[in-house]
Amino acid sequence: MNELTYGLITGILFGFLLQKGRVLRYDKQLGALRLLDMTIVKFMFSSVLVAMVGVYLLKDLGLVKLSIKSTVLGGNIIGGLLFGVGWALFGYCPGTAMGALGEGRWDTVWGLLGMLAGAAAFAEAYPFLKGTVLKWGDFRKITLPSLLGINHWIVIVVFIIAGLLLFRFFEKKGL
Amino acid sequence: MENGRDEPKGWSPYVAGALVGVLMVMSVWVTGKYFGASTTFVRATGLVEKQLSQERVAKMDYFLKEVPKFDWQFLFVVGIFFGSLIAATTSKSFRFTAVPPMWRRRFGPSAAKRGIVAFLGGGIAMFGARLADG
Repeated sequence: MNELTYGLITGILFGFLLQKGRVLRYDKQLGALRLLDMTIVKFMFSSVLVAMVGVYLLKDLGLVKLSIKSTVLGGNIIGGLLFGVGWALFGYCPGTAMGALGEGRWDTVWGLLGMLAGAAAFAEAYPFLKGTVLKWGDFRKITLPSLLGINHWIVIVVFIIAGLLLFRFFEKKGL
Repeated sequence: MENGRDEPKGWSPYVAGALVGVLMVMSVWVTGKYFGASTTFVRATGLVEKQLSQERVAKMDYFLKEVPKFDWQFLFVVGIFFGSLIAATTSKSFRFTAVPPMWRRRFGPSAAKRGIVAFLGGGIAMFGARLADG
């Protein structure tokens, strides 16, 4: 099977699970941002915890490679803040917007067109950003274990404990 | 619930989320691909702009970095649409919706108002996502 077929099948399975988890909704995403409904946080954190264990296990066995993005404080902080503003206005991130469209939520069409416009604007601004914002605070490819100088499994166990405590808190509060 | 009393309940977000985690691990194992979506919007924009001016796109830094083409992630993003469509139509939870319920309660039923804010929000979110390289 070629790479494109794998992409399509993986996307279909992912979209199926996103829909089943009921996370492809403006009300759920805004519900999380307004601290009223933590469904998407439960969903995301569950997938992160499982993927964290699985990927590092395979890495330790020498079966996979990590794909670490550079930490550039200028881009990460300013980009993250902008992303948050846009996400709260639109109510969807890029992937979930496509999924929400599959559920019939066609207001996402306008947001998806906006995303194409945003990508076009970024491509125009890139030569300028490359020499400025994307140079500020460049720490290159760092990870928490490398930064702390400890074994990655310690970090993973801490994340799992923190995640389970968070889940227990959500369930207690009925979020 | 928010779309009508007849909608069936979904799966536990913990279960569906954990299954996504398994899917992510399998993807990395089998094809070496990590999940992502926003680069696809760059490639799609590049494909559109290429129709307008091929030479211009060929010279733009960002399109040299993220070449406008159909790749694994492009098909992954297309797949998300179909996967959700399959899950929604087979469980009677597909609904044509122009204005989300929470939005309607706060800002009213205007689809135009919602559309304008969605467009602006989508644009800002994508610009931020690319800046943060997420």
